[in-house]
Amino acid sequence: MSDATSFAFLGEEFLTWLWYRLETEGGDFDLGDGHVVGVALDDFLAFAPRDDDETEHTLRKGVPSRSSSARAALRAGRRLRRAKLVLAKGELQWSFVLDASCMGLRSIKLPDDDEEADGPAERSLDRAANFMLLHELVTRLYREFLRVRLRRDYLASDGERQAAWMASG
Amino acid sequence: MFRRSGGTTAYFVEGKTPATDSPAFAAALTAQRFRSIESASSEETSIGWVSPGDPTGESFLVEDMALDDAVWLRVRVDRKKLPAVWVGIHRTEAERSRGRALSARERKELRVELEQRLLPRILPSVQLVDALWHPGRKLLLLFATSNALREEFQKLFVRSFGVQLVEAGPRELAEHSGIARDALLYLNEVAPVRWPRLGEDRGALAGSDGDGDADEAGDTVDELAEANG
Repeated sequence: MSDATSFAFLGEEFLTWLWYRLETEGGDFDLGDGHVVGVALDDFLAFAPRDDDETEHTLRKGVPSRSSSARAALRAGRRLRRAKLVLAKGELQWSFVLDASCMGLRSIKLPDDDEEADGPAERSLDRAANFMLLHELVTRLYREFLRVRLRRDYLASDGERQAAWMASG
Repeated sequence: MFRRSGGTTAYFVEGKTPATDSPAFAAALTAQRFRSIESASSEETSIGWVSPGDPTGESFLVEDMALDDAVWLRVRVDRKKLPAVWVGIHRTEAERSRGRALSARERKELRVELEQRLLPRILPSVQLVDALWHPGRKLLLLFATSNALREEFQKLFVRSFGVQLVEAGPRELAEHSGIARDALLYLNEVAPVRWPRLGEDRGALAGSDGDGDADEAGDTVDELAEANG
């Protein structure tokens, strides 16, 4: 088993934690170095199977995070594997699907082009910068999770609180 | 103009590479540049570098590729393949004229003959794959997610620059995220949390982090914490 495969759980725990964090503390994050962002779950969620004999469970359209199916998946102890997210920083807004098992960013839609950008060359610069910025912001969000998850008392503290949240509702 | 949407696979570039505005960089791309298979008479695939401003692979101008601190790379993948429908048409025609089905050897001979006759007249399919490389961060975003393309790109990159690309999965991203050293060391010990199902004892929250004693079903959270020190 490769490292990328064997640590898929950590990405999935990150995405599940992100949902927990959004619901319990809101979607605003101060990621340091002036990076203050807002995050929201959008209209696509896919839950990882908990065991080999279970299947992936996908929810689309509407607000799946508020659906009874989503709550049931959490109560069943399932981790979120993929989700469509909206991330905003100031006037910039990205939407993308995070495939947490490999931390891949899929179906990215960049912020609208800067109206003041002068020609294709300048727009290319902006777009490239926005792809890089999105990657940096997701990495910083992941770091926020790791700061919690990689504490040795995690299971007795934040992990316990997240378990209570997952069991509720 | 650079794209506005797409899916990315992130890699960390491990090793020293030439400055992206240096002649050595352009020479590395040129050595592995795309080569046309337009007139090839056999089924084949050609993969190589082109620049965003020149899809032939004949020039690699800095101004075509530079995006501030990043560089815009482009790979061209051409594939020439005999269309199955044409093979089927010619086989049916041959079988009708002979009044019997072709043997395996005859089918093989027919295919070779068709390749030699038709492939020079068939244009290859063309795929352009972009990548955004930020040497300062040693980060490369490949705008492809299929396993086949990712593998081809990684091979081409290694052939061109002699350095490895490491996919930025959950572990690698953690290692490059700037977390504290003790947290990084603990990364080697973490194991999946097994969140309790509805109806299970909440005390069953389990993970096998730490010394490995904590993964037995029924360990309480407190026991787990104790086991993890």
